Amino acid sequence: MSTEKVKKTVPYTVPIGPVHPALKEPVMFTFGMEGEIVRTVDFAPGQTHRGIEWMGMRRNPVQIVHLTDRICGICGIVHSLSFARAVEQIAEIQVPERADYIRTILHELERIQSHLLWAGVAAHELGFDSLFYLTWRVREQSMDLIENLTGNRVNYGIVQIGGVRRDISDEQRVLAEKGLDYYQGLLDKMATLFLEDSTILMRCRGHGILSEQDARLLCTIGPTARASGLNMDVRQDYPYCAYGDLDVKAILPPPETGGPKGDVYDRIIVRLLEVGQSIGIIRQCLENLPAGEILWEPKMAKLLAVLKKAEGEGIGRVEAPRGECMHYVKMAGKEAPESWKVKASSYSNLMSWIPMLQGEQLADVPIIVASIDPCLSCTDRVAVTRNGRSDILTKEDLSRLSREKTRRMMQ
Amino acid sequence: MAGLPFVPEVLKQLFSRPATNAFPARHLPPSVTEFLAKVARGEAQIHPPVPTPPKFRGKIVYDREACIGCSLCIRVCPAHAIEFIPETKRVRIYVTQCIFCSQCNDVCPKDALHMSSDFLLATEDRYAESQIVE
Amino acid sequence: MIGNLPMILVGAVLIAVFSIIIGLLLMGFDRIVAARMQARIGPPLTQPFTDIRKLLAKENVVPENAIPWLFNLAPVLALASAITILLYLPIAGFAPVLSGGGDLILVMYLLTIPALALVAGGFASGSPYATVGAQREMVTMIAYEFPLAIVIIAIAWKLAAAGIALPFTLASIQANPVWSLVGPLGVIGLLILLIVLLIVTPAELSRVPFDTPEAETELAGGILVEYSGKNLALFSLTQGVKTVAMASLVVALFFPYSLAAILGIAGIPAAVTDILFFIVLITIVAFLSVSLVRVSMARFRINQVISVYWIYLAIAGLAGLLLVMTDQIVGVI
Ligand code: SF4
Ligand code: SF4
Repeated sequence: MSTEKVKKTVPYTVPIGPVHPALKEPVMFTFGMEGEIVRTVDFAPGQTHRGIEWMGMRRNPVQIVHLTDRICGICGIVHSLSFARAVEQIAEIQVPERADYIRTILHELERIQSHLLWAGVAAHELGFDSLFYLTWRVREQSMDLIENLTGNRVNYGIVQIGGVRRDISDEQRVLAEKGLDYYQGLLDKMATLFLEDSTILMRCRGHGILSEQDARLLCTIGPTARASGLNMDVRQDYPYCAYGDLDVKAILPPPETGGPKGDVYDRIIVRLLEVGQSIGIIRQCLENLPAGEILWEPKMAKLLAVLKKAEGEGIGRVEAPRGECMHYVKMAGKEAPESWKVKASSYSNLMSWIPMLQGEQLADVPIIVASIDPCLSCTDRVAVTRNGRSDILTKEDLSRLSREKTRRMMQ
Repeated sequence: MAGLPFVPEVLKQLFSRPATNAFPARHLPPSVTEFLAKVARGEAQIHPPVPTPPKFRGKIVYDREACIGCSLCIRVCPAHAIEFIPETKRVRIYVTQCIFCSQCNDVCPKDALHMSSDFLLATEDRYAESQIVE
Repeated sequence: MIGNLPMILVGAVLIAVFSIIIGLLLMGFDRIVAARMQARIGPPLTQPFTDIRKLLAKENVVPENAIPWLFNLAPVLALASAITILLYLPIAGFAPVLSGGGDLILVMYLLTIPALALVAGGFASGSPYATVGAQREMVTMIAYEFPLAIVIIAIAWKLAAAGIALPFTLASIQANPVWSLVGPLGVIGLLILLIVLLIVTPAELSRVPFDTPEAETELAGGILVEYSGKNLALFSLTQGVKTVAMASLVVALFFPYSLAAILGIAGIPAAVTDILFFIVLITIVAFLSVSLVRVSMARFRINQVISVYWIYLAIAGLAGLLLVMTDQIVGVI
């Protein structure tokens, strides 16, 4: 609904964004308010388009891997992994088993780190800053572990086409196991602090509801969809890396907590349980870590030569902490890929804001917005500006443009 | 406490040490260099910095003698941070542009590039001497 | 009265200076303790003074669609009324600077004026955030007024029932600590009333979980969003003075003791002991009702603020009142 139309039907509008303390990343909301109640919701993403894909078209896959690390500050492994998997598919590269296991370990560590980050943000949005400090403090442990394994806290630079760049040594294994024990112990405490707190219960139970049907219709993914009762998880449905060897089941809000209601509270529960699941997965991977190489081709010059010859299309899908992340790559026997398209996980979840927010109070906007764990910098793929003015493209415009592009690419 | 599980937690934290990593000095000294000189002489104390992990990827170091000018590093550098100097057949690395991926280290056939653990790199000048490695 | 004027003026100035200094120190204390409870180091004790000094040096921006006179008047009014409250409260065992017949009722009314000034300033800012914040502030005010009134009436009733003249004056409350007037049942009743008053305090001071009018995450500071420079400094001072006022009210109603009298000291040392004792008391009150509460809960939604005050605290307050009354009746029999 356009802003003018909103103004006519509701008493007043409250803008939130693009820069606002409730939002950790820029998006523009316009709420039509009636007293404290949100009647209409409109939002405009696209405030942080950075042209990453454009940069990718001017680089070879080995360079792009490190660029994908920077699509998102949190999902570094997710993006580089799905890009690498797409390219590996095209060039028919067989990733060594050990590398697949290490990828899985890091992927899950990243999930722990990301979910803890989210839990802290959620606590802050609820006005519960002590819990925010506590969560972020314990999150440091996972960052330290990741730093030790990959060499950096963020932008890990660990995934390479055909494997991983660093092995896990025996000392690091001990360290990782210690870290897991720490989180295992911590998890109960977290569960108590989040789930037994009556103020959090008051604020989250029954708010920001996304019904199962809405979740399905709006194609939501990840914890957002699972909290609404959709049994879906890429790790379970289309296992990749080491997940085929493991027993990963999508986590739904357990019936003891009242079954999937699809509210903010369920999203907290799902994420907390997923931290536990990740700990289990990493444990299993560390135990069964196969011996062997970690790279398909350690000599990068050779790898580059193979990639240069590669032709075809590939799709890499992984389950990011926020849901499915997908990279589409098309190579045509050149240094740089001919096309590269990123679908970050939050992209599929943004539309669920509208049914969640309608009829809620303004006070709940921050936590509901945060409850899908939106990551907008990775989501913004287009920004249309013409003569210094930004335009909104309709569905028809978009489908026409994509048809034209496909035609161009076919020629 | 029923319904408010955080109350015992905060009371416990009230009497334990804060988790914050302290700044090197408690207050900004009037002159940083003077303060550091004092520290060197043992007259002042600084909070030790948080250690970097092994194999940390900090500022790049370049062994000019070992380099053969094959420019492989330029081909794999994602950030276009390395420049080839045709006259000397050597490379120049712009640290402000480098993203610390260490890919150039992996590819160098002569092992001429390394990552140090130096991470305090902020400056106001992109082309300061400290920001260019050659 | 006329002859008293110079004394009153001197007293007022002294109280103003005292309350501002103690208020800012209390804010600094609150920040340190809150930081420690969150495992942080926190700012130095004098940070609020530094903040005020900095704010005073900053430009005072008046938004384009604000009502300038009201926008600028509100902070002055807020601070002045906050200081006036203290003139009616006994501080450190000294009799209130101003006093009349029903001054407890007057204090209740005066307590609403800083909040009303804030509301006026919020509406005058002409920003949607401030408007929503101002609406919420009004609702919060209406919500906590009821339990506050119950507490005050309960204590006055007790004094009246005990046959003390002028039960609503703070001077008589000062002279007759309520605890000594009640039996065991009444003590429980009074404890409940004390807790109610301690929970009213954070709302009066707009702190978590009742900081809904300022709600940083959705309203970006709400009612204060457009304030800057000198005006914001005045509001910060008001906040400090209000903290002292609320804590003093709690102390005056429930702990009107003098340490010097207990220890048997007299003269200047007695005054010093009593002032220090008083500061310790209000610090404890501030810790319990501001710092501890604000670090251990999430912010309430505005309808929850109402239900907390009108349902839970009102019931608790009435129960306290009832206990005190039963105690009185049982005691008489
Ligand atoms: S570390 Fe990476 S970004 Fe830096 S110069 Fe080497 S290849 Fe380029
Ligand atoms: S890859 Fe190594 S040897 Fe080749 S140009 Fe770069 S630094 Fe020199």
